[in-house]
Amino acid sequence: MRISSTKSRFLAVLSSAALVATVVVATPAHAAAVGPICDKKVPVQTCQGTTSDGAPYVMMVPANFNGTVALYSHGYRYNIDLPAGMLPSVPTGYKVTNTPEPIPGGNPAIASYFLGNGMAIMGSGFARQGWNLDSAVSTNVELVGAFKTAFPTTKHVLAWGSSLGGIITQTLAEKYPTLVDAVAPMCMADNVSPELTAAGDVLWGIKTFFDPTIKGGNYSAGAAGNAEAIGDIVKVLTVLGSLKSSMATGAWPATSSASGKALEAAGVPSRSALLLIGLMAGLPTQSDHFDSISGPDGALKLSFPLAISPALAVLENAASAAVLAILATQDVELQVGGAVYDNTKTDYSARVEDSAVIYNAALSGNTAINAMLAVLNPANPGAPRAKGNADAMAKMGKLAATTAKVNVPTVMMTGVADPITPAGATQRVIDAYATQLVAERNAAIAAAKKSRSYQAPTKKLVVFWSTTPKAWTTFDSTGAPIASSPAVSGTNHCTFSTANLLTVAKTMVGAGTTGKFPTGGAIATAARKSGNLSVDKNFRAPLLKYYNEQ
Amino acid sequence: MTRMKRRALISATAVLAVAALTAATVPAQAAEVGVTNSTITLGMTLPMTGTASPGYNKIPGAMKAYFDYLNANGGVNGRSINLKVEDDQYVPTQAVAKTNKLLLQDKVMALIAPLGTANNKAVAASVNPARRGVPVLFVNTGFSGFADTKKYPTTYAILPSYVMEAKIMAQYIKDNFAGKTIGLVYQDDDFGTDALKGFTQAGVTFAAKIPYASGSQSAATAAGWVTKLSAAKCDVVILFGVSSATAAGLGTAAALKYAPQWILGSVGGDATTIKAAGVPAGVLYNAVGASFAPATTDMTDEYVKLFSDIYAKAVPGSAFDNNVLIGMNTAFVAAQALKAAGTNPTRASLLAAIDAKGASFASAALLPLNYSKTSHVGYNGYWFGKYSPTGDLKPVDGKYVLYTTDSGSGAVVKSTWTRPAMPAKGLPQ
Repeated sequence: MRISSTKSRFLAVLSSAALVATVVVATPAHAAAVGPICDKKVPVQTCQGTTSDGAPYVMMVPANFNGTVALYSHGYRYNIDLPAGMLPSVPTGYKVTNTPEPIPGGNPAIASYFLGNGMAIMGSGFARQGWNLDSAVSTNVELVGAFKTAFPTTKHVLAWGSSLGGIITQTLAEKYPTLVDAVAPMCMADNVSPELTAAGDVLWGIKTFFDPTIKGGNYSAGAAGNAEAIGDIVKVLTVLGSLKSSMATGAWPATSSASGKALEAAGVPSRSALLLIGLMAGLPTQSDHFDSISGPDGALKLSFPLAISPALAVLENAASAAVLAILATQDVELQVGGAVYDNTKTDYSARVEDSAVIYNAALSGNTAINAMLAVLNPANPGAPRAKGNADAMAKMGKLAATTAKVNVPTVMMTGVADPITPAGATQRVIDAYATQLVAERNAAIAAAKKSRSYQAPTKKLVVFWSTTPKAWTTFDSTGAPIASSPAVSGTNHCTFSTANLLTVAKTMVGAGTTGKFPTGGAIATAARKSGNLSVDKNFRAPLLKYYNEQ
Repeated sequence: MTRMKRRALISATAVLAVAALTAATVPAQAAEVGVTNSTITLGMTLPMTGTASPGYNKIPGAMKAYFDYLNANGGVNGRSINLKVEDDQYVPTQAVAKTNKLLLQDKVMALIAPLGTANNKAVAASVNPARRGVPVLFVNTGFSGFADTKKYPTTYAILPSYVMEAKIMAQYIKDNFAGKTIGLVYQDDDFGTDALKGFTQAGVTFAAKIPYASGSQSAATAAGWVTKLSAAKCDVVILFGVSSATAAGLGTAAALKYAPQWILGSVGGDATTIKAAGVPAGVLYNAVGASFAPATTDMTDEYVKLFSDIYAKAVPGSAFDNNVLIGMNTAFVAAQALKAAGTNPTRASLLAAIDAKGASFASAALLPLNYSKTSHVGYNGYWFGKYSPTGDLKPVDGKYVLYTTDSGSGAVVKSTWTRPAMPAKGLPQ
């Protein structure tokens, strides 16, 4: 009963927090910090304020505050309004928002865990939306200072975040290791260059094969650029819709390029070209509803997973990522003053060397693969490569970025088939930490030779892989795949259950308050109990394609 | 004590202390995955159902027949061999899922005889047996790349590569069908590309070169092949695909009264499988085929005799064919590798044993294994024969003429290697 009662009180608190956030959003940007102004309520007081860069924030502090606070950083939010009807997920249109988000997705169970155990939570809505790594880290640093000033009994600061918020969290720990005791970057985005390279590859591929009128980048400044980006969203989603409807026949969209139409005439199905785009950009071949394993009973039992399902998965993933890919490209271009995607030197044949073997049947065989790669060849005048603006790209290189160094106890969680923040971003941290740990061990051995006392370096990284079920594509009585159910674990973007989030939260809290992680066995048990999580240290996610070309 | 001696002692003490402390952080050596005091568990993936399964789905039964025989005779150093089999339907993503199951759920010590080029590549990329230190024994594919010890350090080829096969086949064509118009039907992936590499190197010119996408083979697609082959007036046609593609090609051609001189690649040349798909033995008659193992009807061969006896008892009523012989032979070679890996075999000792002793393992093949620390190449050659009126592949004039080559630019030459006698009772010594 006590638990229920506590939970309902926290739920009520969260509702009021949302109200507060709405009020804060209406507050104009401040040149100086405001607040925090606390309502002094019991059992949880809510404080609101604005950092000096104008970012609204919320702090929620229980009456029995034990000195631990968790700072959450939310993920990417579009930085331009989108009209009604454009996004199925927001039918009434999208409005830019800087509503503070102190816990992932406003999840009351997560809030209850922290607040019910005497911990505070906080988060801002950031001063600007879009790719905001630099400013968000500054906002968070200021927010931690504001919290400590308001609550001087603070002993432990934890930071966690999702997607773009994941890389904000990781960068915070890299730049300010003494500010945080433990961090948890979840479904972490990679740095801006590899992310936008993947986005650009998808957009350029769709443009090259299916609709040459797509800009795919190099957008104009101001309202004209917004219109171009929105125009691209419409065109890309239209192409994907057309590809979906012709998945079985392999017909090409009416808007296809001359090269695309030539491929169609040569008998290459459009689904194979779509799959090739996915493979060359590094999109997963498993998605919300398509496992690339299952087939309907009957004639398509084998040919569906072999020849069609991988393309459907890429289509579903491309649809999930397309809007973000376009708007993030436009946003970063605006920040740095020009086009940032450049594939003049990209060798797409090398990119797909291994995956073209694995998905050979879905790509319609080597003859078709070679024909498609010939279209993508720089020598083909029908497929001009995108050239970036050198100054803009140099400026992009100076935006904040992670080195993947692990300074404090770090808990990571990511989906193995996340199409927006690929698992490779997490793999990069794992690889860097492996090198770091060797160096730390060598240093410890060297120190022990002098001191005659060996102090093994403390393990600072735990990674939870969010895995997919064994098979999940389902079919109706006619053999058609069912694509209306929610995405399964491991697929889509940051698809984590509440249990998964709690597992990460508890592991982070434990590490942040004790300075170390439990044993590997305890971590593995926690993963198993959480469901669909794995700590398989031999699993290896492919790095983003960008890294293999640097 | 001199200063120098004292310093040396301090230094040595420090090193020992560090070593002791470091050792304390390392867990005690656990028993090897998949190995108990009484069993060794191996796992394999292959198409047991689906388009590409005919013929190959007999391999696990054949391997189990040999392992049961081995187990009944004391196993390997007292351990019996347990084989877990997973059906991947010849779909690469299925192979990945099923291999993950074998490694993470069934906890097999090693993978054995996984079938298919694309499937093995998918597993290498996604499951990464090399990173896990998992031996991948004797892959059932002739893709030459799997012998690359740098890229696939824990993988061992056993079949001669498709490049070797194509080069040797080209030599056979030069010797026997000079001046004829040649056609080729091949699988349009790395399986076929490897063969094309060999044919190109050997200078074979094709009047018709017809790729088919894996999984697309059927009577309908084969009708298209026949149209193209007959339009190109091909006298000799090579079918270089899986058994179901060979069967589709032969069966459809017979129905359309198209009868060139057929040459069948070893992968798709198993007569039992082709006949089981409905192709009359008469259609196979006089077709040319290749093998590295003795003819399955050659009961004068001690391996064929022993293996066919074992198989007849284990799987009564099932024909002893090339897939069965190769499956049993693979199991026999694996048993020797496990024996060579020591009384308490580990994944690492198994890999080391094959590298060190694999070239001397006994086997039914008429060509040697070529394993060493720097080579994971299995057999390296073929003999050619013709299918009899009953559809059995037999050497021309009853004599095995063995050709050998490499996957590079080496010449095709006749092999002078003589197979050693079979170990007593066909058991690892």
